Amino acid sequence: MLNNLAGLWRHRALGFVLVSRELKARYRGSVLGFFWSLLNPLLMLAVYTIVFAFIFPGRSPSTSPYALFLFTGLLPWNWLAGGLTDAASSLTTHGALLRKILFPAEVLPLVAVAAQAVHFVLALPVLAAGLALGAAGALGPPVPLGWPLVQAVPLFLLEGVFVAGLGLFLAALTVHFRDVKDILATGLTLWFFATPILYALPDIRAARLRAALLWNPATPFFEAWRDAFFRGAWVAPERWGVLVLVSLAAFLLGYALFDRLRDSFPEAV
Amino acid sequence: MSAAPAVVAAGLSKSYRKWGRTRAFGTLKSALLGRGLSAALSPSESVAALSNVSFTVARGETFGVVGPNGCGKSTLLKLVAGLFKPTAGTLAVTGKVSALIELGAGFHPEISGRENVVINGVMLGLSRREIERKLPEIVAYSGLEDFIEEPVKTYSSGMYVRLGFAVAVHVDPDVLVVDEVLAVGDESFAHRCLDTIADFSRRGKTIFFVSHSLSLVEELCDRVLYLEHGRVEALGDPRETLARYRMDVADEEGARLARAQGENQAALRAAGGDALRAGQPAEHRDSALFSEGEKGGETAGAAPAAGAPQPHSPFEEKPPERLESVRQATTPSGPAPPEQKESLPPAEEPRRWGSRAVEITGCRMLDAAGAERYAFRSGESVTIEIAVAPRAPITDFVFGVGVFTPEDVCVHGTNTEIDGFLPERLGGPAVARVTLPSLDLGTGTYLVDVAVHSRREAPYDYWRGACRFQVDAPDRSAGVYRPARRWSFDGPLSLAKRSR
Repeated sequence: MLNNLAGLWRHRALGFVLVSRELKARYRGSVLGFFWSLLNPLLMLAVYTIVFAFIFPGRSPSTSPYALFLFTGLLPWNWLAGGLTDAASSLTTHGALLRKILFPAEVLPLVAVAAQAVHFVLALPVLAAGLALGAAGALGPPVPLGWPLVQAVPLFLLEGVFVAGLGLFLAALTVHFRDVKDILATGLTLWFFATPILYALPDIRAARLRAALLWNPATPFFEAWRDAFFRGAWVAPERWGVLVLVSLAAFLLGYALFDRLRDSFPEAV
Repeated sequence: MSAAPAVVAAGLSKSYRKWGRTRAFGTLKSALLGRGLSAALSPSESVAALSNVSFTVARGETFGVVGPNGCGKSTLLKLVAGLFKPTAGTLAVTGKVSALIELGAGFHPEISGRENVVINGVMLGLSRREIERKLPEIVAYSGLEDFIEEPVKTYSSGMYVRLGFAVAVHVDPDVLVVDEVLAVGDESFAHRCLDTIADFSRRGKTIFFVSHSLSLVEELCDRVLYLEHGRVEALGDPRETLARYRMDVADEEGARLARAQGENQAALRAAGGDALRAGQPAEHRDSALFSEGEKGGETAGAAPAAGAPQPHSPFEEKPPERLESVRQATTPSGPAPPEQKESLPPAEEPRRWGSRAVEITGCRMLDAAGAERYAFRSGESVTIEIAVAPRAPITDFVFGVGVFTPEDVCVHGTNTEIDGFLPERLGGPAVARVTLPSLDLGTGTYLVDVAVHSRREAPYDYWRGACRFQVDAPDRSAGVYRPARRWSFDGPLSLAKRSR
């Protein structure tokens, strides 16, 4: 595995050009180009804000200003969901490449995850603007900001490892079972509601449900993002431990399956 | 350095997994419900694409691989390129491999040619800096300077392939794997490809060359591997190996023709005509004349020349008396009795006509050993056998045979009259055979017309394309006629006889 990872490092240039190709190709021919990376989350934000601030009002104080609260959850979620969706189909859509050119196959799902990470990063200016407004109290109760923001950097890396691991796992499975993509679409919807994105975990009154949601491996990530961006708090050390464990476990599991099925890809895609 | 071989394959085998139920449905659900996941991921059956293939390719050698479709060529290439892993045996490749298996694989249609070149180059193992440095050279080679900034989706397929080829050869591989890439692209590009390949060869690079163009393989390759059903059928000198392959193809073709021959004779009459027309190149002039010739036969008293439509043949422009008479003897282009018209189906091109006073009941081709065959080596002895049955005993009859190319050029035609036989009596079912002790024909497909007619050339039964056969010549001499030949030289010149 270490050898493989070293080989992957040698192919970093390939990863780099593929990510840039992915991004260029996605917005080639569209008028707004990269602005779609900003517009998509903004539009989603608008919809959710209208629904939950005006149609179902009465949120708890821990989630207000709600637009900002939602945004700090939606951004990392979009990365996770988009990364997994793209990664799952990465091997099958680039089947021609796998059959024709010799290169480490894991580049493809990793590129899919990385391209989504770029979208995440590109949306950060919007978040920064929102946070500035929030801190000034323009959106409601002022949001505490400060040094806890730096936690975003390790969080970003950990979520990257986590999504990459799951992406490798799904990509390898999709080669052999094409219905993984459909399962994933439904699964992501369920997962979205099982993760504290629309709500804050402490607001759940039923203790057993709250405990159950803690078993969701994505929960610690979103709680941590909220700590960094919304609550201005330091993530508890044991939560960091959980995050590291979850990310590494996901990556090792995904990579192990991918590696085991690797030789079957050129023939099976 | 040159001592180390570039590619060493030892006992190389590759089987493809034939996935059972899971492959058929390919659903996770069926895997989870049916058997365990691990069971679903293990193959239920395997199909051998290559078995026990061993060879060594020396550095700097141009190594050809030939064989029919499905013989394992592509599998072998993918193994050499490192895309597939061998199931058994070992394969050692020294140096960087660049595979021209599919040119332009991985081009993204939405982004520009230039960006695609960079990405493709990086995929093929160049660093970003190297590819940026070689970019102008690659663009110049492809000849796409004017289009390089356009998205690749706007390219024609030829432009696409040119760009792909340009990238692949600029990767500067030690081993170049070429799979049938020259089939695409125009003539000038094909020449440039060949020049590049020759240049690679001069620079001591190893080339792994797969093509269905046997003459190209013969021209380029130092050694040739002939694969059949995933096994090594022959390996070595290109001429020998390719001759073996050509013979095998001809045998197979012959067996197919023999099977066709064995089928219902009446069905053959119609099918033979269709096959003949389908096998013909789209030369409208010839096919038009061909049917004109038929009509000439149909219309009583048509000029004999109308039935001999070979304007490109020097003999036909001023046909010598004997050839002309042969033509007349074997085709109904001469004066024909009016009742012939009635025996012709009006809308169809006639493949068989005549009064049927004597009917041809069968036509076969035999080799020297008397076995029925439809594939021959040039120079072999061939016998054409005609079985006939008269309606009533008859005293006026001539047997004729003619050999034609699919373009309807008469290669040879003769009859019992020409060869000096006087008919006396045909009392019942009988067989006539004519043996050509040395079939001095060049490589190609030929058709046999057989006929029984009166001495005044009124056809009893004329059967056009009664047999179809294949000839294979062991050398590449041109033309339908392939005589034995001897060279001699005088004067201050010297030639060495090539050993092979």
